[in-house]
Amino acid sequence: MWRLVIVALLALCLTGFGRTPPDTLVIGARTGIIVDFDPARIYEVFTAFVAEQFYDQLVDFEKGNFKKIEPGLAESWEVSEDGLTWTFYIRKGVKFHSGNELTADDVVYSLRRSLALNFHPIWILAQYVPDPEMIKKVDDYTVSITTTEPVAELTIASVLAFQGICSIVDSKLVKAHATPDDPWANEWLKEHDAGSGPFKLMKWVREEIIVLERFDNYWEGPAKVKRVIIKDIPDPSAQKLALDKGDIDIAWDLLPEQVDMYRNVEGFKVVETPAWGITYVAMNAGKPPFDNELVRDAIRWAIDYDAIIYGIMKGAAIPGQTFIPKGMFGHLPETPYYKDVERAKELLAAAGYPEGFEVELLTTDRPDRVAIATQIQADLAEIGVKVMIRQMVGAQFYELYRAQKHTFLVAGWGADYADPDALAKPFAHCCTTGPDAKVRQLAWRNMYVDCDTTLLVEEAARELNSAKREKMYFEIQRRVLDKGPFAILYYPLRQVVMRDVVAGFNLAHMEYFTELWEVYKTG
Amino acid sequence: MVVVVWGVVTITFFVARVIPADPVAAILGPQAPQDAIERERARWGLDKPIHIQYVRYISGLLRGDLGVSLRTRRPVSEDIKQFFPATVELGVAALIIGIVLGIGVGVISAVRSGSLIDHTSRVFAIVGLSMPAFWLGLLLLLIFYHTLGWLPGPGRLPYWYPLPPRVTGLLFIDSIIAKDWFALKSFLQHLVLPAFTLGWLSTASIARITRSSMLEVMHEEYIKTARMKGLRESLVILKHAFRNALLPIVTVIGIRIAYMLEGAVLTETVFAWPGLGRYATQSFLSIDFNAVVGVALFMALLYSFCNLVVDLLYAYLNPKIRYV
Repeated sequence: MWRLVIVALLALCLTGFGRTPPDTLVIGARTGIIVDFDPARIYEVFTAFVAEQFYDQLVDFEKGNFKKIEPGLAESWEVSEDGLTWTFYIRKGVKFHSGNELTADDVVYSLRRSLALNFHPIWILAQYVPDPEMIKKVDDYTVSITTTEPVAELTIASVLAFQGICSIVDSKLVKAHATPDDPWANEWLKEHDAGSGPFKLMKWVREEIIVLERFDNYWEGPAKVKRVIIKDIPDPSAQKLALDKGDIDIAWDLLPEQVDMYRNVEGFKVVETPAWGITYVAMNAGKPPFDNELVRDAIRWAIDYDAIIYGIMKGAAIPGQTFIPKGMFGHLPETPYYKDVERAKELLAAAGYPEGFEVELLTTDRPDRVAIATQIQADLAEIGVKVMIRQMVGAQFYELYRAQKHTFLVAGWGADYADPDALAKPFAHCCTTGPDAKVRQLAWRNMYVDCDTTLLVEEAARELNSAKREKMYFEIQRRVLDKGPFAILYYPLRQVVMRDVVAGFNLAHMEYFTELWEVYKTG
Repeated sequence: MVVVVWGVVTITFFVARVIPADPVAAILGPQAPQDAIERERARWGLDKPIHIQYVRYISGLLRGDLGVSLRTRRPVSEDIKQFFPATVELGVAALIIGIVLGIGVGVISAVRSGSLIDHTSRVFAIVGLSMPAFWLGLLLLLIFYHTLGWLPGPGRLPYWYPLPPRVTGLLFIDSIIAKDWFALKSFLQHLVLPAFTLGWLSTASIARITRSSMLEVMHEEYIKTARMKGLRESLVILKHAFRNALLPIVTVIGIRIAYMLEGAVLTETVFAWPGLGRYATQSFLSIDFNAVVGVALFMALLYSFCNLVVDLLYAYLNPKIRYV
């Protein structure tokens, strides 16, 4: 009996498990963040990356260059002289996965549907196009979109290229799944795709697996791999083991120190790009001692930026102190601050705090953020500022931050769409600290009131001349850099590690623009 | 039992809401605009006073409605239905490993008390009890998957292999129904390491209690009598000693079943096992009110059920115990 059991166990152990097939790309990632594939609700970065494989938008960007707009489902477009009406000419012959042809009706239906559902990401479109009636069909292949105010071409293109609310769905298919209780078929679209992208969503088992299959009639030509499997592996160490064994082709969420282990290792490659995010320290300008401009400046001069970038982030970050990250239109490449204890002490003394002060620094329980908080605690101790670190879960942290109840914290932010407006509004738009503020984002949360800059942020969004617009963003960034409530620490890098059999993979600055359409395997 | 369940629901409901954290803000993310958060809070009824939310929840519960998860935006009962079968499979396999190894090691240690085997097994029991599941899991993955390549890595099937059609949610049964023998074989291979990781915790405590219970019984007069009667030693141990030592062992097994979900939280994360443990963790971290209360309620029912089974087993094992 025992022999039989041992033989059975050995047989179970020593039979093959299989490796990833050459026509299938297998990605190991944390998929727990995905809750819904309805484009009207997609907002999380990883969900948008997956949806990018099965939904298209009117416009796109040149690969690796977010300053150059490219045609998407619209082959061309023009703007009226007053800068208010955009006319898009839809590409003919584009098929949805259902076989239906994509027409102007689908474009109008999709955008109006997102506005009607009014889910949280809608602000990105609604800030310029709030009313469904502003989206009109001109003929079967022409759509006009009117904005409330003139908007720069790059801004409107970035909004319309947003993966989610501006994705074009197959209106016939969606309507077929609508019910009286659910007229926009939100329930059905949560777990199904109605897109025209290079892959079809075949299966999604929550927190287990996503299976995408090539759509052979894709308008840009069929994808190079037949299938993409995204396997949920929440633990980074388990992702690493699976990558080492060849059970997955790409590990999506390795820790910086794990990524480092693969540099110059045969059989693997590291792909990285600035992630268009900003990690920063925020000082609440509405509360002492940070209501004093000199104190904020002293903190900026006291921080050891290099220790954070190279010591804690281990190369998974690049230097950057302005809020528009590298690679984005309008980026100001200035990094004036470095650790200068004497200067910081002088500024503190001039501010009336020669002996320093005590302050609580809030952070989430993310290990990298806790390490950064600890570094800042040590740096500020050198200028006499006693920092008490308070860790909390994200839900608690953001509750305090949103309510302006913090004094000092470390956090991160990412660009929502590929235009400097997506960052200027959060970081520099605040003319009142009350609940009536038009934008209640980072400048507002940190009670940093600057009505001149707020006005400039609004003008920059409207400016149609590109050179003038760029100068305006430079000016806004300089003001925030010198007087703002932030000490920007670095721009994080997005890093993935893959087997060297994977080719054609381009990691975009904004993860949701990363397409798997051209990816293939050499073995 | 009704009182226990009501108590669990009420305490969890209020504790989850008293925490100074906004689940809607957490779920929509740090970048969602304030008005979108307020809109979403109203959509979920979270803008209402807490007592009204409670009355609504309880009246829903009485109709069998556990509410909708803020995070997955699906009925909590549907989520539990999806994630629980994977935990059952893992738990049952772990329990079998725990019982077989635990009792085996415990009996041998007791019989050979003071020998090298006894000392070794006691060391293993202490190490087992003090070793965190995630650490053991990673260690086993490193040895048997990464280095030796004898067993597969995380997940329930090879990453590239599609799941068989879901009928029961139990992959073992669903593979048999679909006659997908490759899936069945792969599943069993994938089950070995997580089941051992989770079972190890039980093995250690069951072995410890088996040893001490057996040692106690082995000194009883009736064992001496059985030996003096000339019975075979194996018969003395299994029939006379073991059966009488079983009562505390059953208690520990009962407790271990309930603890298994606790261990499952870490084991399921390391082994990418899509079970209720992981669902519970995610729900707690995002303070997903309905899911937190739903899982707590489900756990309370499960715990009560395990206790009931243990009580019934007592009566079976010891005819002196009778329930009236």
